[in-house]
Amino acid sequence: MQQSIFLPRRRRLLAGVGGIGLTGLLGASTWNAVAATPVELPFANGRRELVTNFPQKGAMLLQRTRPPLLETPFEVFDQGVFTPNDRFYVRWHLANIPDVIDPLTFRLNVRGHVRQPISLTLDDLVRDFAPFEIAAVNQCSGNSRGFFSPRVAGGQWANGAMGNARWKGVRLKDVLERAGVKAGALQVRFSGLDTGVVAQTPNFMKSLAIDHARDGEVMIAYAMNGEPLPFLNGFPLRLVVPGWYATYWVKMLNDITVLDQADDNFWTAKAYLIPDTPFADVLPGQKGVNMIPINRMLPRSFFTNIQDGAVVKVGQATTVRGIAFGGDSGLTKVLFTSDAGGLWQQARLGPDHGKYSFRQWEVPLRLASQGRHKLMVKAFNASGNAQPDHANWNGAGFMRNVIESVSVQAV
Amino acid sequence: MSSSVRNIAVIRAVPLLFWAALATGSAWPGTADSEAAAAKAASGAVQSWSKVRAELPTSQTLFPPGNGADIANAQCLICHSAEMVLLQPALTQDQWAGEIDKMRNAYGAPLPPDQVGALARYRLSINGRHPPGG
Repeated sequence: MQQSIFLPRRRRLLAGVGGIGLTGLLGASTWNAVAATPVELPFANGRRELVTNFPQKGAMLLQRTRPPLLETPFEVFDQGVFTPNDRFYVRWHLANIPDVIDPLTFRLNVRGHVRQPISLTLDDLVRDFAPFEIAAVNQCSGNSRGFFSPRVAGGQWANGAMGNARWKGVRLKDVLERAGVKAGALQVRFSGLDTGVVAQTPNFMKSLAIDHARDGEVMIAYAMNGEPLPFLNGFPLRLVVPGWYATYWVKMLNDITVLDQADDNFWTAKAYLIPDTPFADVLPGQKGVNMIPINRMLPRSFFTNIQDGAVVKVGQATTVRGIAFGGDSGLTKVLFTSDAGGLWQQARLGPDHGKYSFRQWEVPLRLASQGRHKLMVKAFNASGNAQPDHANWNGAGFMRNVIESVSVQAV
Repeated sequence: MSSSVRNIAVIRAVPLLFWAALATGSAWPGTADSEAAAAKAASGAVQSWSKVRAELPTSQTLFPPGNGADIANAQCLICHSAEMVLLQPALTQDQWAGEIDKMRNAYGAPLPPDQVGALARYRLSINGRHPPGG
């Protein structure tokens, strides 16, 4: 039995309250070096600059400066199951992001189809509601879009438009209860402080069904990994929708409106739609497919300590490891193969941080023969979903979750 | 001093409860330090700051020279910087026109309709492909 290589969570140093604030707000990054070398993502037009000039962020892959799109370099996912705040990916739709936020005057408004509209300060949230914590993966709907074949337009992410954090805050259910949801409520709509540059751009708003909003898991987070949310990840409040794609996790959340009719705003009704088929999978050019709002996440697993093209010694014992998550339900198992799917074996799983979290997996590996070996990894979840053998495809580049594979050379 | 520290500033006093909440009642790693911090907070040893000001970097990237680059630089950069556009896979002229129409119709880009064709041809010339058999 080999020694486990599961890594402890990176320890944070907090010294005094000033320390908390400064650590949280300044990012206190230890990553000072400006990496001059661009990174080549493994698809056409995949060269990305590694930048360090965004507030509270370490080295990130630049997809766009304004509004910011920053990808987490994949090696970060080998360092532990919780993605450090200063390496957590960033995705904004609208460029008019406030440059000053005052926690003293900030208000979260709850209004619409309620008995009593309320306006809450951050201290109200902390003082008046039971704290709630959950570990959950936040994954962009278009994570891995760059791997789509045929390619599709949109943010050309590799696999780093995702992250896992411990979110702390209050249950949305409790806040809605305070306002008193009236009978006949259908949906709850969320909006943040960001707006478009031109007046005609629709405000970014997303809605959830009322029952989902009151399920006791959907929450309003004021902390991420034990610190205030980084500015670019939604300071001071962010909606957390465990198991659902990140488009619903509204950043700089300041408005909650209970609706008694279906939300027809652009971002809910017309954007982020997927084909209503298993894995949102269609053929390129396929017509007449019913489209629905994107929703629950699918299981995924990744290699984190070995890359395509790696060279290993024949007969030498090594450990292959990675991360996996179940998506909308707990990860039940991870299978691994070193012979392109001939024989699958069960990977050993690391500590369980809850059903919506990343979980590490590892397998001992000894390649007995020279030549190329195709390693593959496949995650299963409690909803009965497993990663598919063939890559799902849709025109928006959403929900990729095909089995990952790497080719290694044994010498 | 890293640039990430340089471009975010904290001014004025933070609501005490908010910060204390981050430090207490948690079984997370680092709790011991956090509890010490909370105790310090309770004793009133809090720095006087709170407003958060974030300075986001600006992009110097322009669309590369070509017939129509002036339209791209004048119009596209109103709402977003150029990098993501330049990182797209090669698209056909029709696909580029579709993307440009989406900017106009869905997001309200003030691009005059008679410039859509010229902008799509420019995008094709910079990063385009021709449809099979086309």
